[in-house]
Amino acid sequence: MVIDDSRAMRLILRRIVSGLNFEVVEAGNGREAMDRLAELEAVPELALIDWNMPEMNGLEFVTAVRADKKFRGMTLMMVTTESEHGQIVRALAAGAHEYVIKPFTPDAIVDKLVMLGLIPDGAHA
Amino acid sequence: MAPTGNDLQQIAEQVWVSYLDTDGEKPLVPVPPDKLSKEVVAAVAVSGAWHGLVLIACSRPASREAAAALLGMGADEVTEGDIDDALGELANVIGGNVKSLLPEPCVLGLPDVRSDVEGDPWLNGDEICRFEATWMGEPMEVSVLEKPADHGEEPA
Repeated sequence: MVIDDSRAMRLILRRIVSGLNFEVVEAGNGREAMDRLAELEAVPELALIDWNMPEMNGLEFVTAVRADKKFRGMTLMMVTTESEHGQIVRALAAGAHEYVIKPFTPDAIVDKLVMLGLIPDGAHA
Repeated sequence: MAPTGNDLQQIAEQVWVSYLDTDGEKPLVPVPPDKLSKEVVAAVAVSGAWHGLVLIACSRPASREAAAALLGMGADEVTEGDIDDALGELANVIGGNVKSLLPEPCVLGLPDVRSDVEGDPWLNGDEICRFEATWMGEPMEVSVLEKPADHGEEPA
């Protein structure tokens, strides 16, 4: 699942993860993502989450997902411009597994996914 | 602690390499253009311990090319909505990185994209740094504008 209020950023992230054989669902903010989660039959394996979004921001989304046991198997990765140490700590404390700071290269996302064990090393040429 | 023109250059170049010039064929050239343009301006407000705007300003052709590059489409297919989305995200990414150079704590607002802003009070404030460049032969400018605290959240 790719959650970002920017269509351009959703497209960039979609290209990266669909190239790794993930099926991608998009949402424009945390609220929309919660609605999509309620509709989906299977819990997504991974969510890439922007921080600054209207209606429900990324940190609120992480907190909401972590409060629901149904989503415990979901890996949450913040992909955001928020680069201060305090913000990273807040996101990880709320339940995010990983943190990528924009701007990023595709390799930065791939490396994190390898580290999280979601794809094998060398999956992305 | 305040960002400088060199900081803006580093941030902008990183953004270009990551999103707009991924194959190295459309580099952001750090040469000031003959004439700057504010035909399209995207900004994010920063508020908190510091108040102001982080802006990216460019010509309309440059904004179309940026949207086309980010959205993976031809420049002739780009709509106004595409330009708003793409320029807004560029301002967001640049603004987030500039925020890390400003006094803490600060909060980043959502992007605001405007056209033909000549004389718009939105752009009133003290410019504290600027980076001027040329991209695909078009003017491109990144700047940081400090505002009084009561005006800092205007565009959010």
